[in-house]
Amino acid sequence: MNGEAILPYLIIIPLFGAFSMPIVNLLGRKAREAWAVIISGATLAVGSALFYSVWENGILVYTLGAKSPLGQGVSFPIRIVWEVDLFGAIMVLMVTLVGFLAVVYSLGYMKHDTGLDKYYTLIIILELGMLGIAITGDLFNFYVFLEIMSIASYALVAFRNDTWEGIEAGIKYMFVGSIASAFILLGIALLYGQYGTLTMSYLAVKLAQNPTVTAKVALALFIAGLLFKSGASPVHMWLADAHPAAPSSISAMLSGLVIKIGGIYALARILFSIYGHSVSMKTVGWVIIIFACITLIVGNAMAVIQNDMKRLLAYSSVGQIGYILLGLGIGLAAYGSQTGEIAMAGAIYHTFNHALMKALLFLIAGVVIHQLGTRDLNELSGLAKTMPKTTFAFLIGAAAIIGMPPLNGFASKWLIYESSAIFNPILGAIAIIGTAFCTAAYVKVLYTFFGRPNERVMKARDPEGSMLWPIIILAVAIVVMGLFPWQISDKVMIPAVKALENQLAYISAVLGGA
Amino acid sequence: MKRTIAYLSLLFILGALLYVANPNYGLKFGPGGKEWLTLRYTDNYYIEHGVQEVGGTNIVTDIVFDYRGYDTIGEATVLFTAIAGAIALLRPWRRDEK
Repeated sequence: MNGEAILPYLIIIPLFGAFSMPIVNLLGRKAREAWAVIISGATLAVGSALFYSVWENGILVYTLGAKSPLGQGVSFPIRIVWEVDLFGAIMVLMVTLVGFLAVVYSLGYMKHDTGLDKYYTLIIILELGMLGIAITGDLFNFYVFLEIMSIASYALVAFRNDTWEGIEAGIKYMFVGSIASAFILLGIALLYGQYGTLTMSYLAVKLAQNPTVTAKVALALFIAGLLFKSGASPVHMWLADAHPAAPSSISAMLSGLVIKIGGIYALARILFSIYGHSVSMKTVGWVIIIFACITLIVGNAMAVIQNDMKRLLAYSSVGQIGYILLGLGIGLAAYGSQTGEIAMAGAIYHTFNHALMKALLFLIAGVVIHQLGTRDLNELSGLAKTMPKTTFAFLIGAAAIIGMPPLNGFASKWLIYESSAIFNPILGAIAIIGTAFCTAAYVKVLYTFFGRPNERVMKARDPEGSMLWPIIILAVAIVVMGLFPWQISDKVMIPAVKALENQLAYISAVLGGA
Repeated sequence: MKRTIAYLSLLFILGALLYVANPNYGLKFGPGGKEWLTLRYTDNYYIEHGVQEVGGTNIVTDIVFDYRGYDTIGEATVLFTAIAGAIALLRPWRRDEK
């Protein structure tokens, strides 16, 4: 399959869908919903085709506006390039899959809300922004798409403007997010002033030739801004407000995708592909490991004491980001060794797995809120009796996130435990403590669900098809992925890490072996 | 306590940025002559080849709409998103409509 021919459609289709939504909306409610499903479904098809193509053929480079990224008679790139390696392709697949399911789920879930033409426009733009980040090979272009993603998510968090918490969380998220974006823009400006190029791969060459203090200050700004966006611990407070306040379909996308694309993916891309060998990987790795350990403990411990179901899931997201950051940190600190490779493979694998699990759990929380009108765990006892399918799906999601062996969370967490225990036993112990808290939190929820039914729950029923099917698909995906953990790890995740660590291949794909 | 730490870290960031802004250690201001070609080689390329490659005599629009046109699409999308978001949030409340 020709990857370069299909890559542009990954942007064209959602862009066209979003900009045509106000016109399609004139045809009525049915047309608008069908259009949103068609657009996100087509994006999913393109995303899977792209993933397959990159998996077969390796790095894909696409220049916008010319055949070659290099200018005439010079050896540096002058145009914007897209560069998709296997890591980027995994992110593309993850975004398009969860995005499609969230759109389908919205058909039932958002039925009683107003302003839905704007809602579908924004959700498609959110997906567009994340895809743009995953495929870009240009630093300023990365910033533009980070802003598209962020602005769409600010608006979507506050979408229910008649609830106090929506507006409050939206304001908080917007202020914090804008400051984080400003950090990143400042970093890009410093790098451009020093090195005169914005293409990631050429910037890597320039950095290796002449590492300066400016580059280190820019790196500090990048790390600070991106840790904000990923919800790492000292700055996770916006996440714990924003994810519960958003409509559940949006929480699923925020928790499953936004914090990973805008945080983890961008961090890994900047650290491995741009800074590569020009800074001390060990130091940067340890900085990230420290934040990862704080995030792990704080996120999972705070999840245990929550009484609000969505807030519990939001804190659990913080905790799981801690695992991913731990894998990333060890991958940097033990760069080039097998331990580092396994840790990074665990981080990428867990990113994908957590996107599926957390999307599943948030969609279920949405079903519960939709049917019962409450998300207070004290009022939800005995849900298993009246909503058996939903409860069963929750059981699968909870077991997967804790890391039970037959499900997908086991393999990815195992890779992180194993590598952290080899790298430094204390880190392994911290990871286990985090999991203990995480287990306690989910057992608490399950204990409630299987308890004695209270009156409120008796009227509840399993939801309609458009809300049930995305949940079923995600649950099946979790189980099926759980059946082949080591095959997936060997065939996809390890090659993705090898591609990410091979900075030379990333550079020479754009510069043509120069 | 928190506030003190916050102001101290702001001070530290300001110090680091001032250090970087010093031409002796970090960024050069108004690079000319030989420095122009080592620091602003892409800009030089745009100026030399812009008219012939793109056809516009205004270099800024050449860059914004041709060389880096994709970023401009992105900026248009940002504006569109901001408008869609603002309209979505300023719509009447659900219970007011009935």
